[in-house]
Amino acid sequence: MTVFKDYVKNKYSRPAPLKGLRVLEVCTLLFGPAGPSFLATMGAEVIKIELPPAGDVTRSLNPFGWFYREQGPMFMHINPTKYYMALDLHKEEAQKIFKELCAKSDIVEFNLRPAVTRRWNIDYDEIRKVNPGIIYVEKNGFGQWGQYAEEDRPSNDGAAQALAGYAWMSSFPNRPPLKQSIWICDVYGALMCEVAVLAALHYRRKTGKGQYIEMSQSENIMRAMGWIWPYQQLTGKGAEPSGNRDQCICPADTFLCKDDLFVAIAAPAPDEFKGLCAAMGQAKLAEDPRFKEHATRLKDENALAILKIIADWARTKTASEIEELGKKNGFAATRLHTSKDMYEDPHRRARGFVKEIDDPLYGTYPDHEFPVMMSKTPPKNKWTVRPVGFDNEYIMTKILGRSQAQIEELYSQGVLGKWKDQQGRRPPKEWDGQSGAILRR
Amino acid sequence: MAEYKRAKWADWADKIRSLDDPARNFEKPEALDDIVVLDVSSRSMAGCYCSSMLAELGAETIRIEPPGGDIARTYSPNGILHQGTGLAYLQEGRNKYHITLDLEKEEGREIFKSLAGQADVIIETYPAGTMDSWGIGYEALSKINPRLIFVSITAFGQFGPESTRRQYDYDNVSQARSGIQYGTGEVLPEGKTVQEVPYAVPTKAGPWIAWAVSGTFGALGTLAAIHYREITGEGQAIDISTAEAYERLHDYALHWYADQGVLNERFGNLDTALWLYGFFPTKDGGVFLGGLRLEMWKAFVDILGKWDEWKAEEWTTLAPFMKKDWQLKYQAMINPLTAQYTSQELTQKSIEYAKTGRLAPITPIVAEIVSPWKAMQDENWKDRGMFTPVQDPVYGSVVCAQAQWKATETPPRTKWVCRPVGYDNGYVYLNYLGYGPTKLKELEGKGII
Repeated sequence: MTVFKDYVKNKYSRPAPLKGLRVLEVCTLLFGPAGPSFLATMGAEVIKIELPPAGDVTRSLNPFGWFYREQGPMFMHINPTKYYMALDLHKEEAQKIFKELCAKSDIVEFNLRPAVTRRWNIDYDEIRKVNPGIIYVEKNGFGQWGQYAEEDRPSNDGAAQALAGYAWMSSFPNRPPLKQSIWICDVYGALMCEVAVLAALHYRRKTGKGQYIEMSQSENIMRAMGWIWPYQQLTGKGAEPSGNRDQCICPADTFLCKDDLFVAIAAPAPDEFKGLCAAMGQAKLAEDPRFKEHATRLKDENALAILKIIADWARTKTASEIEELGKKNGFAATRLHTSKDMYEDPHRRARGFVKEIDDPLYGTYPDHEFPVMMSKTPPKNKWTVRPVGFDNEYIMTKILGRSQAQIEELYSQGVLGKWKDQQGRRPPKEWDGQSGAILRR
Repeated sequence: MAEYKRAKWADWADKIRSLDDPARNFEKPEALDDIVVLDVSSRSMAGCYCSSMLAELGAETIRIEPPGGDIARTYSPNGILHQGTGLAYLQEGRNKYHITLDLEKEEGREIFKSLAGQADVIIETYPAGTMDSWGIGYEALSKINPRLIFVSITAFGQFGPESTRRQYDYDNVSQARSGIQYGTGEVLPEGKTVQEVPYAVPTKAGPWIAWAVSGTFGALGTLAAIHYREITGEGQAIDISTAEAYERLHDYALHWYADQGVLNERFGNLDTALWLYGFFPTKDGGVFLGGLRLEMWKAFVDILGKWDEWKAEEWTTLAPFMKKDWQLKYQAMINPLTAQYTSQELTQKSIEYAKTGRLAPITPIVAEIVSPWKAMQDENWKDRGMFTPVQDPVYGSVVCAQAQWKATETPPRTKWVCRPVGYDNGYVYLNYLGYGPTKLKELEGKGII
């Protein structure tokens, strides 16, 4: 495709797809903030509103004690390219300011317990009065109604993995359920929620109508579990896990190689399966009645038989040799990648998928680009997080036209706030007091 | 519907429900009913999942398969077919019209161009370059239809050194390529080999989660491109690599390696970055335990009856508990204690503690790790419309996960689950190209449809 020639080089000569949209976010942790980040990288102006002075809890989280320039690394990666405001929404004056912002915004997203927005006088009915076109999103563990919601059950990603039946399906047979290492229900749910938001935006363009959307942390992942539900209904049996073996595609599994590295292989289609059998030097397996047709090959006894043959063969080759054979013989194969590959792989770099962010507060560090490459409107991950309330002055001046004296007054009333003198909330030690601030004095 | 004690804010719950209950979805309009999507996915459920999301929102979605059907129709556990269709396809054929067309024949490609001239979105998953070599890639089609949004979801993307590889995209391979599988799975016990403990290896997750992720990014990119097109009139090409899409959901691993040289090694059912956070054994299975604030962790220790012995009173910060050695130490201390209770008992203890415990209302999160079987019987999800069976004219009553979000104006909905191969040839070809039975018979005779 020639339209992607020099895509990375020309990225900044093209607009982002969502330019002109304004999004407000009142979210903490991961499920909430991850979604608006996707919109931010696609060019929307996203204002992250935190409660001063401590802000988002994620600022404290870290893998095994590692912080990056005092900041929680997961906070950095879940919240790029936003503006940072700290507004104490418990206070009436703050609620008024919030409504003024809503009147000038397209989308507002919360992850709070049910009915908290009402307590703060910023529930959908209130906001709709000032902006009938608003797309209003509430995300949490169990939604706004139903038994679990009304029991006020707390939730997080691990609970959602457990309750949805998702973790159950991720282990090896007869082993305890396995938690996935990434926060899949959080970030996948956040992603799916933005599909809801942009569809609502399309509807608004046609009709002028906004809407209210609610999303639960567990329900999103159930949608992605596909065949499991009709399988259980039609066979009357519970679905059970199968480790790295794909139960619906054969062969598709991960194998240990001669060099003790792993390779993943998939070859269900006739040309792929023939290619794999030829690579193994056992071309006639492709004609074996047990394996010839995909649906027959999937029968458990046949599937286990062919996977055993492949496993024995894989142990005689290195992972890279098998990856090369996949290329040559036309079946899917890759050696297992690690975070080292994320960082060093020339393909990821050439696509600009992994790139360095050059941030005025946090310096240069690598991050992922938005993984949708758009030929006319490339999304862009541009900067990282800011201290609590860092962009208050800019937002209050640019969007709401408040004077410096009025802003000072709001600080003195505790309506607006700035960071606490605490790791992850305050600017990094290296900060010069000016860099990154949009309004400077 | 299960009886339960209503919350103090039950009026709120009732009000929201009256506005967004999925039971009333069919009374509402559809967000994308002005959009026409052609899905020519091959072998890939990422493409089918992408078009499902758009079809659930009302897009008129035409699924184009080769005569004989896409191999994805055979994807099914144990090879089970329901009325000739695999169970996976019975989920992702939803709301789509199914037609056949042989793109390997010149005449088939000409017909495809006519359809593309009338479409808003095309979704394809062939190895990069395939559509171009057939003369129906983005450049060719955008000349016919400059408003076209052309979405490619592949293993390696449309550019970059690996993009010349002619391999199809599969979920398990993309999971391996993403770097995430490496960090998921049981930890190999010290002194053991993989041959001895074959389950303690890098482990892929969930059923086709990588495909679901790239398909969803595809839907999101499509909607963003539609937004831009409404302003400028211009369509565009979209390039998604499934491995990258899935990798994007990883948070800090890349940065951690770059800054500290630390690899994303497996940590079993604990979390490298969180405490209290993990799966723990119970008498009848296991539970997730979560308490990301110090008080929640202390409350849990209190529930276990170890407040004094472990000196919880003296703890002032969670920080040391996040370190690897402390996580492992406490995991070893907790495991035998949680194993004395059933999952239900432990859940109840947490609920009771919220009322009467020393730190009440603070309490840890306790969630039973349920099987999908149990999840599907759960009254809470049923009540929220998650498993309402679809009454399909061809396939009968089929359970589909749906109502994945609730919305007041344009919620997603499922109307039918699938259609047999070529089922809609008559309607779609007549509607879009004016082909009646005579012409269709001729095309069938030539093997074009």
